[in-house]
Amino acid sequence: MSDATPRGWVGRPLPLKEDARLVAGRGRFVDDLGRPHMLHAAMLRSPHAHARIVAVDTRAAEALPGVRAVLTGAEAAARSGPIRPLIPTTAGVPDYCLAVDRARYVGEPVAAVAAVDRATAEDALERIRVEYASLPAVVDPELALRPDAPLLYPELGTNVVWHDTLTYGAVDEAMARADGVLRERFAIQRYASTPLETFGVIAEYDPGTDVYELWTNDQRPGLTISVVAAALGVPQSRVHLACPDIGGAFGNKRRPAYLLICALLARQTGRPVKWIEDRIENLTALMHACNGIMDVELAYRADGTLLALSVRDIADEGKNLITPTQHNLIKLGNIANGYRIPAVRYEAWSVLTNKCPSGANRGIGKPFMCFAIERTMTLLARRLGIDPAELRLSNYVTAAEMPYTTPPGAQYDSGDYPATLRRALERFGYAARRAEQARARAANEDRLLGIGIATSVEPAGTNLASYEIITGRRSASGSAEAAMVRMEPDGQVRVALGDPPSGQGYETVVAQIVADELGLTPDAVTVDRGFDSTTTPWLYLSGNYSNKFSVTDVGAVVGAAARVRDKLLRLAAHRLEVAAADLELGSGAVAVRGAPDRRLTFAELARTAYADVLGLPPGEEPGLEARHAHQNPLARPMDAERRVRSQLVFANAAHCCLVEVDRRTGLVKILKHVVVHDCGRELNPLIVEGMVHGATTHGIGAALLEEVRYDEQGQLLTSTFMDYLKPTALDVPLFEVDRLEHPSPVTPLGAKGVGEGGAIPGPAAVANAVEDALAHLGVVVRSLPITPEQIWRWLR
Amino acid sequence: MTAPSERIAVRFTVNGRAVEHAVEARRSLADFLRDDLGLTGTHVGCEHGVCGACTVLVDGRSARSCLLFAAQLEGRSVITIEGLTPAEGLSPLQQAFRDHHGLQCGFCTPGMIATATELLAGAAAPSAEAIREAISGNLCMCTGYVNIVRAVEQAVAARAGRAGA
Repeated sequence: MSDATPRGWVGRPLPLKEDARLVAGRGRFVDDLGRPHMLHAAMLRSPHAHARIVAVDTRAAEALPGVRAVLTGAEAAARSGPIRPLIPTTAGVPDYCLAVDRARYVGEPVAAVAAVDRATAEDALERIRVEYASLPAVVDPELALRPDAPLLYPELGTNVVWHDTLTYGAVDEAMARADGVLRERFAIQRYASTPLETFGVIAEYDPGTDVYELWTNDQRPGLTISVVAAALGVPQSRVHLACPDIGGAFGNKRRPAYLLICALLARQTGRPVKWIEDRIENLTALMHACNGIMDVELAYRADGTLLALSVRDIADEGKNLITPTQHNLIKLGNIANGYRIPAVRYEAWSVLTNKCPSGANRGIGKPFMCFAIERTMTLLARRLGIDPAELRLSNYVTAAEMPYTTPPGAQYDSGDYPATLRRALERFGYAARRAEQARARAANEDRLLGIGIATSVEPAGTNLASYEIITGRRSASGSAEAAMVRMEPDGQVRVALGDPPSGQGYETVVAQIVADELGLTPDAVTVDRGFDSTTTPWLYLSGNYSNKFSVTDVGAVVGAAARVRDKLLRLAAHRLEVAAADLELGSGAVAVRGAPDRRLTFAELARTAYADVLGLPPGEEPGLEARHAHQNPLARPMDAERRVRSQLVFANAAHCCLVEVDRRTGLVKILKHVVVHDCGRELNPLIVEGMVHGATTHGIGAALLEEVRYDEQGQLLTSTFMDYLKPTALDVPLFEVDRLEHPSPVTPLGAKGVGEGGAIPGPAAVANAVEDALAHLGVVVRSLPITPEQIWRWLR
Repeated sequence: MTAPSERIAVRFTVNGRAVEHAVEARRSLADFLRDDLGLTGTHVGCEHGVCGACTVLVDGRSARSCLLFAAQLEGRSVITIEGLTPAEGLSPLQQAFRDHHGLQCGFCTPGMIATATELLAGAAAPSAEAIREAISGNLCMCTGYVNIVRAVEQAVAARAGRAGA
């Protein structure tokens, strides 16, 4: 390490450390791992959307050579407890890892087999005889609300998990005195981010220590350990969970049931058991973003000033007993988007149907929030004859109003929303594009040009205290993460973080942060791959979710590094016999300020800390390792008016999209897509820009291609990538990305969330553009995806 | 008819080394590479031939290793990401992916690199549009493809530079 070590690694577009191994195929994903004498599992899944399980006969499967165990739902329920929900709702019904007496969606696991190889396990599935008595299925969430609807849980007497109306401010008065109220109904489809690596787990049970070991790509290990330990009836100290490299997650990678099934099979057989989800299982049964319906009423003055917003929101949970209401809560917390809306009413319905469990998917609820609000703003602009950009600009929360608290309690901490849109319009060439559109229309071309604008807030960090809105009591709350920084005896540094990355480049960006804190280069900092509950510091709240890296993880890393730095200063002060205040860190050493030759290298100080401990200051603990957990200071409990900061730090973005609709084929081509975003201080711009591209692509997929479709009997029609279409390289444009940088005042380095990004305004931007191309033909876009077939129908 | 679990003797090369195996008739090339040879750089993303994660080169042409049976490969030459990686450092194409961060989680990357290798082996200097066309059979859920296209463009330019030197 030279004395010329440059400072200020944070903010540089440093190429990623992990990319070097990943481009060579040297990642280590869960399916790349093995254990001695490992068995392989396969799962038998319900072919019915709703059926009673009358009998299960496993004898023929057990008799197949190579089969070591067959597990039924009844056996699973006898050997493990129910899976504890994250959000305990009134649905206090037991939910076991396998269906016990009733299957409630196509693909629900009914039995599992462990065998010497996967093919044998799958062969054995064909020999399990399940007698089903089919029941009427409820697939449409509005039908599920009706009193005569088939019930998933007859003991509850309803499919409704949560229904409530929350009112913030004088909504009725505002509606009464408004010049007008725009009323519209929007729907969003089920879709999923489908990480390219499917879910997987290896489970092993050690009878000598009564320890379960789990290797998995579960993205929320803190919560999962507690759920799995409770269901297995063992202390959390006896569930060891490790995450290797994770091949994308996007919220989808979490299903404690699968960990439990493998753990039970491992215990039963005395052998490690591996299960890797196949793509059909992934599309059928892992997790879909909630589909839903929103009825929006927006009260306005004739000049376009927004007065009140009232929303009725039906969230279709499928068979989700773990996190129901999550989509409702997150929509509620962000419902004002970036606008100054003085009064808000939100009526929530969270309803069970006979479909795959809904769950976290990039942006959770916010893509629909943004679709509904940004569609409404666009329709209002047209109704009032105001340019859609102008209507937004006149209603934004301004930079001068920051921090700004929305009626439901969200606090927008920083940013300049009008400037963000203005920059996007400028980059897009808004006026020129409008002129181009007018020319094309005047020439009556076969291509119809449309311009779409959508803007959004992008919150980061989840305050679990928001669940109190549902449950009336507080259990978990806040937002926090833990990290460890250890200067090893050779003066090099190792870092561990409770948040296992799934493509976010933590091994690089965390090294940049620690390098700055300690005064060395990122090369001298090794960040542990993934997560290991026996060595990584972690909290119940630990995990890779909710855009939380900038809000909690950075604070944990900075805090732990600061403790190591302070100790280095104390050790050096003692050994150099100067005051710590006269010392500075840099270039891998501590030196006396102004006397650089009076210095001790980190390696020399580390030797004192670990080996020559008599050289430590009196009372100083040996070692050079520190842990720190950072709690974001914005999180607060719910207040008496049921306001809560359900999310914490707010980035924002503006998208401008130009599409060409071919009136002959209905095909939509995106000609130009500009994203201007503000995620505060960019810790590594290379990572940030990649996230913007990827998230916007998720938004485009939801807008134009992706839809999980069920028929009226609840049969899934989209169980392969032939039927469930993902964006390819030919479907997405070369995004043009620009940024503003308003650092957050409430995060340690000023960074804000960036991972969800374009997944939130992306669908609205594309939908607004397509409608803009077709509006003169009377088209209103009320649902997604906008397929060529849909456009073809509109045009005829 | 051959039973699925019947074993078939097959000889071919993988990354230039001869392999000789009695494989189950139903063993896919992807499973054979990963589980029998330990070449875990080839990833399995869909097992129905759409996502392209498992793409390898068979006699220089890109192929979905999930849709091939190992037993079909008698006499063929298979190159995986391990074979596309130099003993030291990275290939120019791999380096371009790293330079442009043409990946995030890295799960699609070996298949992308196999497909791009085939493209680069062609004579012409492909345009950005041709690059997009070539990789359109490889799904990436993370990057939105922008940085992948940039990476391949850099590799194309580097190849042209080497050819001109």
